[in-house]
Amino acid sequence: MIDTSPEVPVKGMTLTQRLEPYVSFIGPMAMIIAILLFMAIVEPARYFRTSNLNQILLDAALYMPMAMAMTFVITQRGIDLSIGSVAALSGICMAFLMKQYGFSAPIAVAIALILGALMGLVNGLVITRLKVPDLIGTLAMDLVYRGIALVIAKGLVLARFPELITEIGRGQSLVYLPTPVIIGLVTMIVGYLVLTRTHFGRYTIAIGSNPEASTMTGIDVDRHKVYAYVFMGTMAALAGVMLTGKLNAIQATSAPYFNLHVIAAVVVGGTSLFGGRASILGSLAGVLLLSMMINALVTLRIEFFWQSVASGAVIILSVALYTWLQKKDRDGSSGMAGILGSARLSRTYKLAGAILGALALLMTIGLIFAGNTGPSG
Amino acid sequence: MVATATSEVVDERTEAADGVQPMIRMRGISKRFGGVVALDDVDLDAYAEEVLAIVGDNGAGKSTLIKILTGVYQPTQGSMTLDGQPFSMFSHSDAIAAGVDAVYQNLAIADHLTPAENLFLGAELSRSFLGIQWLDNRRMKKIATDTLRDRLGVQLKNMDVLTESLSGGQRQAVAIARAVRHENLRVLVMDEPTAALGPQETARTLELIKTLRQQGLAVIVISHSLDDVFEISDRIHVQRRGRCAGVVRTADTTTEEVLSLIVGAETHE
Repeated sequence: MIDTSPEVPVKGMTLTQRLEPYVSFIGPMAMIIAILLFMAIVEPARYFRTSNLNQILLDAALYMPMAMAMTFVITQRGIDLSIGSVAALSGICMAFLMKQYGFSAPIAVAIALILGALMGLVNGLVITRLKVPDLIGTLAMDLVYRGIALVIAKGLVLARFPELITEIGRGQSLVYLPTPVIIGLVTMIVGYLVLTRTHFGRYTIAIGSNPEASTMTGIDVDRHKVYAYVFMGTMAALAGVMLTGKLNAIQATSAPYFNLHVIAAVVVGGTSLFGGRASILGSLAGVLLLSMMINALVTLRIEFFWQSVASGAVIILSVALYTWLQKKDRDGSSGMAGILGSARLSRTYKLAGAILGALALLMTIGLIFAGNTGPSG
Repeated sequence: MVATATSEVVDERTEAADGVQPMIRMRGISKRFGGVVALDDVDLDAYAEEVLAIVGDNGAGKSTLIKILTGVYQPTQGSMTLDGQPFSMFSHSDAIAAGVDAVYQNLAIADHLTPAENLFLGAELSRSFLGIQWLDNRRMKKIATDTLRDRLGVQLKNMDVLTESLSGGQRQAVAIARAVRHENLRVLVMDEPTAALGPQETARTLELIKTLRQQGLAVIVISHSLDDVFEISDRIHVQRRGRCAGVVRTADTTTEEVLSLIVGAETHE
């Protein structure tokens, strides 16, 4: 128990307090390690090939910018369900600018990002000015943006883009890591700096933590909400550009489940859906976890459709875990670190064990089913 | 015995603090919400280096009175002076700029920020680097630590924890520190500062209030706890049904007398 009285000397942080900010990171890391162990036993040769690990990073990179921005949106007690359509529409517009109107690649990319920002601005204004709840507002705008993309592209698949676009999507000319991974990691670092070192980041946490107090201290809550959605839209457009480059093709129905995948990654990473609790590092871990899990399912030759079962299960389990931890939190122990160091330790471990067990069970079931489909090269 | 005291003590209020000019002088303050009269012709004086308690039943007009004082509401009628100067404001930030701030019952603290981040919420210090304003977290933490220690005598073991993990009294201290951080703060209003606290925390908060009085602030405390009021206040302003039922010097009165003023039981027509 911390004491207010002046005679208590100022002590350094204990180990558990130092660990506190990383607790959200440890959760997904534990799951990642569980997947690694499982795959090391079941399918080491194929899973741990360099080309496969590269593939995991490539898949994860696409979601990194969006997960970073979504961390801000969710921390402000918001949500953005329109990001898939924003990515598709930005990609379609960029493709048309280059293919039909002869724009150079850099300018087309810049315009795509600006379009994404504008779409985010519309989302933000719908939520703050028209007072439409974020869930409904962005869901409706998802339909609008997807519709516009279909109107523009009809059923066309636009393919074959300049080198800059494919470099952004799947190139490897910078360093050892693929270019999109570099882009994803850079956006994560920028997101971390914005969250911890700028007014916008500070107000994002304050607004999610206590909107009334934020208003009282003179923070323009609506304005900062709009900023978060503009940020989100821009990052979704960046993902649209990366997706276009990765596939070297884009169509109006691309990126259908970006929203749920990204929200899952952010929530798995420990950012609270109830606002105020943000973890950029956790979001990065969440993105990696989902990519590794999906890749594991593919490597095990489990039917594609099981992916969505697994993703859904992971979301439910993580939210349940964090809600449970936070309830414990309110019950009196100090912070999540307090729980790790408390007498309830064994129960926490049991729960974590149960989650990992469920994950393993899920994969085993998948493996059994996969036996029926038969291996294919 | 109580009844006779009532009429005498009312006259005593203007003589308090040896004829020194009051820091806050409210005169003839009325506030109507539609047809409802929340405040009716209320006078209030608060002096520097003094704790003035405002007591009264629910609906007696205590909250309305301090909301007018802190600029949240504008009075329907009446005038105010601050340190002798006519004083009117249109928002809470006007009041803060003039040197009047309040610590509310719900504390207005963001649980997911650290104490230092809460202290500077909405008024962060920053440094320009590469054309971007970066928060100066280190300097804010240092000033917050100094403010808590030097002004309030509070030392937190760890300034890097989230405010949600602090005790009620420590959160209270953070909220007070946010108000006293302003150099020109002259009047601090505290709404039920001990309502959510245990006995030990209450004792510490009362000590804090005494410290603030020593530092020359005019402290106005709203409280339901007469024990606390008698321990810390110099004078007690009793509100009843939107009117001032009397102002008494704490040293010259008893709990029974104040209670009778609150309920108005013993007044003779």
